[in-house]
Amino acid sequence: MLILNTLVRGPLHGYGIALSIKRLSLDVLTVEEGSLYPALQRLLLQGWVKAEWKKTETNRRARYYTLTAAGRKQLGLELTQFEQMISAIGRVLQGA
Amino acid sequence: MDSLFRFFRKLNILFSRERFNRELEEEMAFHRDQAEGELRSEGVPPEAVHNAAKRQFGNETRIRERSNEVVGFGFESVLQDLRYAVRQLVSNPSFTIVIVLTLALSIGANSAIFSVIHGVLLKSLPYPEPDRLVRVFLSSPDFPRFPLNPFDFKDLRSRNHSFESFAAFTRGDVQLSGSGEAERLYGFGITAGYFHVLGLKLQLGREFNEHAEIPGNGLQVVISDRLWHTKFGADSNILGRKITLNSQPFTVIGVMPAGMEHPGNEYHSLPYGEGIDVWWPFSFEGNPANRGSHFIEGIGRLRGGVSLSQAISEMNSLMAQIQKEHGGGTWQVLLVPLNEEIVGTSRRMLMVLLGAVIMVLLIACANAANLLLARAATRQREIAVRLALGAPRSRLVRQLLTESLLISFLGGVLGLAFALGGVKFLVSMLPADFPRAHDIHVSVPVFVFTFLVSIVTGIAFGLAPALQASRTDPRQSLHEGGRSATASGRQRRLRNALVISEVGLAFILLIGAGLMFRSLVNLIRLDPGFQQEHVLTVSLSLPRAKYKERAAVAHFYDQLVTSVAVAPGVESVGAGSDLPWTGYDENTGFTIQGKQPPPHQEFHARYHMATPDYFRALGTPLVRGRFLTPSDNESAPKVVLINQAMANKYWPNEDAVGKRITFDDNPKEKDWLTVVGIVGDVKDRPNSPGAEPAFWWPELQAPQPDMSLVVRAKSDPLSLVNTVRNAVGQLDPTLAVADIRLMDEIADTSVATPRLAFLLVGLFAGLAISLAVIGTYGVISYSVSQRSAEFGLRIALGAQRQDVVRLVLSQAAMLVLAGTALGIVMALTLGGLLRNLIYQVSPFDPLTFATVGVVVVFVALLACYIPALRATRSDPMTALRAE
Repeated sequence: MLILNTLVRGPLHGYGIALSIKRLSLDVLTVEEGSLYPALQRLLLQGWVKAEWKKTETNRRARYYTLTAAGRKQLGLELTQFEQMISAIGRVLQGA
Repeated sequence: MDSLFRFFRKLNILFSRERFNRELEEEMAFHRDQAEGELRSEGVPPEAVHNAAKRQFGNETRIRERSNEVVGFGFESVLQDLRYAVRQLVSNPSFTIVIVLTLALSIGANSAIFSVIHGVLLKSLPYPEPDRLVRVFLSSPDFPRFPLNPFDFKDLRSRNHSFESFAAFTRGDVQLSGSGEAERLYGFGITAGYFHVLGLKLQLGREFNEHAEIPGNGLQVVISDRLWHTKFGADSNILGRKITLNSQPFTVIGVMPAGMEHPGNEYHSLPYGEGIDVWWPFSFEGNPANRGSHFIEGIGRLRGGVSLSQAISEMNSLMAQIQKEHGGGTWQVLLVPLNEEIVGTSRRMLMVLLGAVIMVLLIACANAANLLLARAATRQREIAVRLALGAPRSRLVRQLLTESLLISFLGGVLGLAFALGGVKFLVSMLPADFPRAHDIHVSVPVFVFTFLVSIVTGIAFGLAPALQASRTDPRQSLHEGGRSATASGRQRRLRNALVISEVGLAFILLIGAGLMFRSLVNLIRLDPGFQQEHVLTVSLSLPRAKYKERAAVAHFYDQLVTSVAVAPGVESVGAGSDLPWTGYDENTGFTIQGKQPPPHQEFHARYHMATPDYFRALGTPLVRGRFLTPSDNESAPKVVLINQAMANKYWPNEDAVGKRITFDDNPKEKDWLTVVGIVGDVKDRPNSPGAEPAFWWPELQAPQPDMSLVVRAKSDPLSLVNTVRNAVGQLDPTLAVADIRLMDEIADTSVATPRLAFLLVGLFAGLAISLAVIGTYGVISYSVSQRSAEFGLRIALGAQRQDVVRLVLSQAAMLVLAGTALGIVMALTLGGLLRNLIYQVSPFDPLTFATVGVVVVFVALLACYIPALRATRSDPMTALRAE
């Protein structure tokens, strides 16, 4: 979900995705960066993202990942579920 | 739809795996470079940048693997494991060869025995719905399995409601003459509906109807496919053709299809299978009121929904009714499911053999597990390194299991090859009367069985070592540095337990083999009651149509015996109604002068006919009185010769010679037969508990047309075959000389089953003890290599060599003795299973137990002497330096 979300604002390469998750979460969510890659492969396999090789600003080749329509739909679905869960947890905590 | 997309993407990546990896590599390198740049710009010292980026990134190898797993098919990692396993096995050929060979031998033995069990016990009989077929006998305390009286059969057939169809049959061979030399053919006299009961369709014509059962209508015949092809050129106009059987014209009314198997019979038994060439209609001759004569065997097909016990109770009440109508009798009806009848006797032996091969396989598994455990110890470093690099334990277990499965599969494939050879050998070794021998093949179910056994075997011996290995603690193993890791206590216990059970199982098998050997020796040493060497036998059957007169029959055999007796090379010759050990079983009741039978019983004995020199030719001794002589003829007073068993049974404390018996209810003086002599006993089978009471009529006084000729030769009995043929031919050129056999062969056949059982169990026991010894050797020599430093120190501190040897051997002795103790306990528990298979040996025979115990301990300790000697050569310096 997090990976898909970072891609909403446009194509990114793997490092970019890692960086963006790290920054946006204010360094709270720092996992082993490498574990991003198997996850990306899984998203590719599901058809939720597309990948293409492009040149970066520094003129190096990098693989950029783009959200597909199916990916967008999946993200929407997961976000809804996530929000439902958060609000449920919230209600439980408030009730206590 | 989605899954299809995923499948094609996976497929695409599968074929461009290299590109996938290159791209992933580039991507990850890019990531690291970027990260390093970032760190540098954050002010991390340049020399630390690389490691920091790496740490941040995580375990690269693992990530590569996981990415590959995501896009890979499940089987790819299996292939990977397999490739790795193959490399492991190839790099360690002696290990691989030993383990694969032992498994192949034991899996092969299992497959071979399973082939036999499948063919004999599991495959259903070649008749439709064979479980509804039952054999019908009569039964009484004296005769537990007795044939039916024809008229009793007829009544049972018309009155019963249990059977959909019910028929009877009796063995009756016939002589085919006409074109070429006369030939004796195996034949059955059958009632109407016999083939219908079996559910067999004729390929030409029809079977007999009840019209053919009426005396005088019986000149019809159904022939086998074999006879149709070999004698009549598969003539399509065979129906209606007349052929000469027993010198009478029979009309062919049907031809059975090829491969037709007869269900086996009791009277002059021919084993189940092919081999019958002629079926002739049984005809109900004689007086229906006289129900004393029993000689036909029943077979029926139960009506759907009728249980065996229902049928038994109906048949019993019918039989009681019939006996009431005809002056009494206490016969019970005995119904035996056909399958039970055919294979019942061989089941026990096959199950014991199966048990034996399973034990061998267990031993082989234990051995393989031990080898793997030993190797896992040497591979501990490798495994520790892989664990440290992040390999999940489950993957390691899977990979080690792949290795053991690969080993067991190789064993299975090779084992199947062994089984192919083994089954051929087994079938060739089977006794001639072994049921369904020609149904034994290495077939698809055997392949499936072997496959399953291989899988189970691979898991059985691989799982424990794999779990053990995966429990390796990487820190500990790697910390120990150059020193070889010692086996953990748990591992040592596992290995010891394996060796103890191996020795125990091998002990059981050796006990089995030992008991069977003793039993075989008992059988071979047994005095058969005759002398089998140099004796030729043939059988002759005089056609009733041609030899109508009793005198003609008597005259024929008298002349034949006289002319053969004077031929060169013949020592003595006689003719008898039967030969020893061939399943003859003809009985009659009689009255003894001055004696009364116990209530509801009668005096009975087996009856035979013989010419004067029959016993001399067989080598059966005269105990008292005299043999029959040529003067015991038609006009002389009637006499009989009895055996020792009959004398003991009916004249226990008196001299039987001179006593008289009769077969008439109101005997006149001429109807009494005088006992003139007593001959030695010959049992029905070499392993029968005792001889049956029996007597012999002189052939001249009670002529019998079907006789066996017994010729004792001065030297080679086979050289007399032509002498006999010529003598027969001169008397009657149309007569076939059949069943040309040596008495040696007959005697040999009768011990074929116990011999085969001993041979196989002995073979398996040999394999088992070799494996167990190898296993013990392996464990001891491994432990010696582990403790070489300790031994070195002991020697350095002044221990004598024999002390070290004693130390090692006592460790081995503990294992072997524990195994032997386990074996003794199990053998005592299982011993009862062997009781039916062994002869005059107790399953708990102390001699066998003691011998086997000594052999097992001695052989195992001998094998351990080698590592013990090696222990004495431990050099304290090497040991200390290695620390």
